[in-house]
Amino acid sequence: MSCQTIYPFVAIVGQEQMKLSLYLNLINPTLSGVLIRGEKGTAKSTAVRALADILPKIEVVKDCPFQLAPGDGLELCRECFHTGCRERRIAGHHVEAVHRHIKVVELPVGATEDRVVGTMDLEHAIRKGEKRIEPGLLAAAHRGILYVDEVNLLDDHVVDVLLDAAAMGVSTIEREGISFSHPSRFVLVGTMNPEEGELRPQLLDRFGLSVRVEGIADRESRVAVMERRVAFDESPEGFTRQWESASQTLVERIEAARQRYPQVTIDREELFTIADFCLDVGVDGHRGDIIMLKAAKTLAAFDNRTAVEQADIETAAELALPHRMRRQPLMEIGDNVKKIQDKRR
Amino acid sequence: MISRGHHHFPFPAIVGQEELKLSLLLNAVNPRCCGVLIRGEKGTAKSTAVRALAALLPDIETIQGCLFALAPEEAGERCAVCRLCDRRGGVVRQRVRVITLPLNATEDRVAGGIDFEKTTAKGERVIMPGLLAAAHRGILYVDEVNLLDDHLVDVILAAVASGENRIEREGVSFGHPTACILVGTMNPEEGDLRPQLLDRFGLCVEVKAETDREMRVATMEQREAFDADPVGFVARCAAESSTLAERINSARHCLPRVQISGRQRTLISELCTEARVAGHRADLIIEQAARALAAFSERLEVEDGDILRVAPLALRHRLRDQAPPPPPPKEQEHEHAHHDPPETDNEQEEEQQDNAPEESPPPPGSPPEQEQDSTGNDGGMPDASETPTGPVNPDALEKVFEVGATFKVKPFAANKDRVFRRGSGRRSRSRINGLQGRYVQSVFPRGTRDVALDATLRAAAPYQRQRRSDCAIAIRPEDIREKIRERRIGNFLLFVVDASGSMGARGRMTATKGAIMSLLLDAYQKRDKVAMISFNKQEARLNLPPTSSIDMAARLLAELPVGGRTPLNAGLVKADEILRGQLVRDPTSRPIVVLITDGRSNVALGGGKPMDECLELARRLAREERLRFILVDTEEQGLIRFGLAAKIAEALNARYFQTADLKADTLLDLVKE
Repeated sequence: MSCQTIYPFVAIVGQEQMKLSLYLNLINPTLSGVLIRGEKGTAKSTAVRALADILPKIEVVKDCPFQLAPGDGLELCRECFHTGCRERRIAGHHVEAVHRHIKVVELPVGATEDRVVGTMDLEHAIRKGEKRIEPGLLAAAHRGILYVDEVNLLDDHVVDVLLDAAAMGVSTIEREGISFSHPSRFVLVGTMNPEEGELRPQLLDRFGLSVRVEGIADRESRVAVMERRVAFDESPEGFTRQWESASQTLVERIEAARQRYPQVTIDREELFTIADFCLDVGVDGHRGDIIMLKAAKTLAAFDNRTAVEQADIETAAELALPHRMRRQPLMEIGDNVKKIQDKRR
Repeated sequence: MISRGHHHFPFPAIVGQEELKLSLLLNAVNPRCCGVLIRGEKGTAKSTAVRALAALLPDIETIQGCLFALAPEEAGERCAVCRLCDRRGGVVRQRVRVITLPLNATEDRVAGGIDFEKTTAKGERVIMPGLLAAAHRGILYVDEVNLLDDHLVDVILAAVASGENRIEREGVSFGHPTACILVGTMNPEEGDLRPQLLDRFGLCVEVKAETDREMRVATMEQREAFDADPVGFVARCAAESSTLAERINSARHCLPRVQISGRQRTLISELCTEARVAGHRADLIIEQAARALAAFSERLEVEDGDILRVAPLALRHRLRDQAPPPPPPKEQEHEHAHHDPPETDNEQEEEQQDNAPEESPPPPGSPPEQEQDSTGNDGGMPDASETPTGPVNPDALEKVFEVGATFKVKPFAANKDRVFRRGSGRRSRSRINGLQGRYVQSVFPRGTRDVALDATLRAAAPYQRQRRSDCAIAIRPEDIREKIRERRIGNFLLFVVDASGSMGARGRMTATKGAIMSLLLDAYQKRDKVAMISFNKQEARLNLPPTSSIDMAARLLAELPVGGRTPLNAGLVKADEILRGQLVRDPTSRPIVVLITDGRSNVALGGGKPMDECLELARRLAREERLRFILVDTEEQGLIRFGLAAKIAEALNARYFQTADLKADTLLDLVKE
């Protein structure tokens, strides 16, 4: 992590939906990410970067370029070029593991395919006769969060490899005569400004949830935004300290929800509600249903309950469905949200 | 591939999707069903079903260490030439593998090539088997097969259809068997496959989400139960899975004994004739599939029911009397797309590559507008134009016309040159900076670090005696050669649309909008960037700055009002302004300007005659060599024609079309590039 102080997540004013969707993904990574749509200057990127201080922790083999857990299999290590821990692990010795926050890996819009997937030093290989692989961002993002700013401007073939990895949980480096695979399961967080073009439907579908952010209309909140920003800019450390206990509470709440999630149950009746929702609004495929179900359960866990309630399902619908609905003529995804909200009333 | 340590979702637990399951099972029983193409929506258990199928198939016996997964009885003479394993391995049983083809795979990874790590170390040619070798006797799963580079699809389909993959590249000549179940998936919204590639897939299923509440709930329950406890879930389904596995196994054994009568063969051929399919592959596939179904139903004789059951699977993607199957959920009619795909001759292959994708219906988000209107007033006039808008009062009220019927447009592309570009898409061929694309030649290093192994080895070869090294081959930096690659990329398309009153006469704007929409759909599938200028009354406006959002362009087009005079000259000046900006920002880009007008320029910028000024402007624009122009003449086919647009086209050095000629199926085909 950088030594620069990051604006504390809890100090972000408003944007409750966006915050909620990020919490849900931290609690349950199988929700497979969130797409944040909105205008410029609505704390989209700030929020994602600020996640760093509320992230849960995982156990990782020290210095492992593929973020493996100590209990993971050895298939990858046999081919790994990273000699530090390879021999020890293969020989069955104990390797040092660290307990660290999960990482937010940022994928810049201009990233080339080899930077994303990883590459192999061919020249080294033919001159020295050995493989040397440079893992890409997809390796770094395994078990963490992959953040794509302006995801709608991403190069098409980068989108393709991203989709491949997201679908299979495996990323493959394919170069002349070399194939190297490593696990790559990540929470995909994207931000975009819809004015600059839409996403391809496939990519859209890969995001579990989507939220729309807008500038806050309420005067008080706008003032609060300004005040907090100024306070932060004047004294980042002091400001962060001020919010420390709030951050801590949130971290604990997320951790508690992670523990509780497996116990959350849902009635059969409520499954019908979900199915009806999806049928009514017309979504493609079944991913919408499944994500809605998971989101509703995660919401219940976050709310310290072990049973899903009607309200959870409605909130889940708002998060999981708008970007999956077949779009009507001249209708934007934003209108879909309205339709879902109308349905709630 | 790395085993994920996961349990796969069991096949019997998949809810619904009966066609999908049936077609996979038929292939499992009889590999001569030639694979399945799955078309349709996202999130419909496509890949889950494929992976689950693998778990049902009986283990295969293979020689230990064999990289081509050869069966012991296949080994024989092949082993004699192959030096990849020590040939002392015994026979082992292994699970059937699912090989997933990543979209970024290069040709040599797919087909195989030289293993240069070993080649340089040992000093002899060592072959590196590709994914096709790994898939032998397994399942080859190609997700988004329509997005794969054309040449890769060719390689894969050729290998799977012939059952043998031949590696003839980089100085290697080698063959190995590839008998695998090929499963491709595609979403037709993203562009279609070329007809001859479609034909190579034996069966085709359309999948969509279940609309039944009970089914949807069952889907969620199964998935949730699986996620909560994968091991327990798989165990609970074990009995059902093994019954199914046994059924497949016994069906395989009795398949050779399944009889089909002559009368039934006649029935099959009648079905095919009725569907007007091209070629005989459909007949053969139906026969094989029907036999597989009979065997799977534990019968030794094919029944008529079997044939009727499997026929739709084999015919769906081969029908010719209508557009290739539109994706299931789009309910609107497609009568306008009723152009038979052009006959598949070899000479036409080049065009075919371009044509093929356009047959699919509109991309999802984009232009539902055209669906709306095509419900009734295709040829007729939209409500908006009940009173003809004659050019009586040139600045009269503006009207908005609906978007007319869309069609598949003729392929057009920028000229090929030697400039290296970045990017993706599928319009014009270009040399490419990057690691994708086809290797066309090798050169001295340009700094791309994309090493061309064969050329590098050739460069090093003459000096081997003088050099000493730890490796078998000594390679020095000066030997390194790099690859030049080529692929298709998208272009920048600038639409310059005449929105003057004369365009509105007798609903012509509806048809014109339909033509523009068709071009936009084409642009979506070829991943172009677009911008749109419209001109009417006294001025030209940039309605849409350069963007890759075709949705936006479609929306603007639907709302574009028509009325007033024809300031074509201002339109050309505006176009020049945008194009110059574009060329400064990206000097290697090759913009294509699509000018849609009837050519009746009647507003001059200076003092001269509007038409003369217009031709002069056009000649000046044409001087920029990087630009290409396409002029779509919307003048009506009547007795009196001014032919002004044709003159402008000549001045611009543009390709000239009348609206009707834009259609890909008209006989007047394009000039070869």
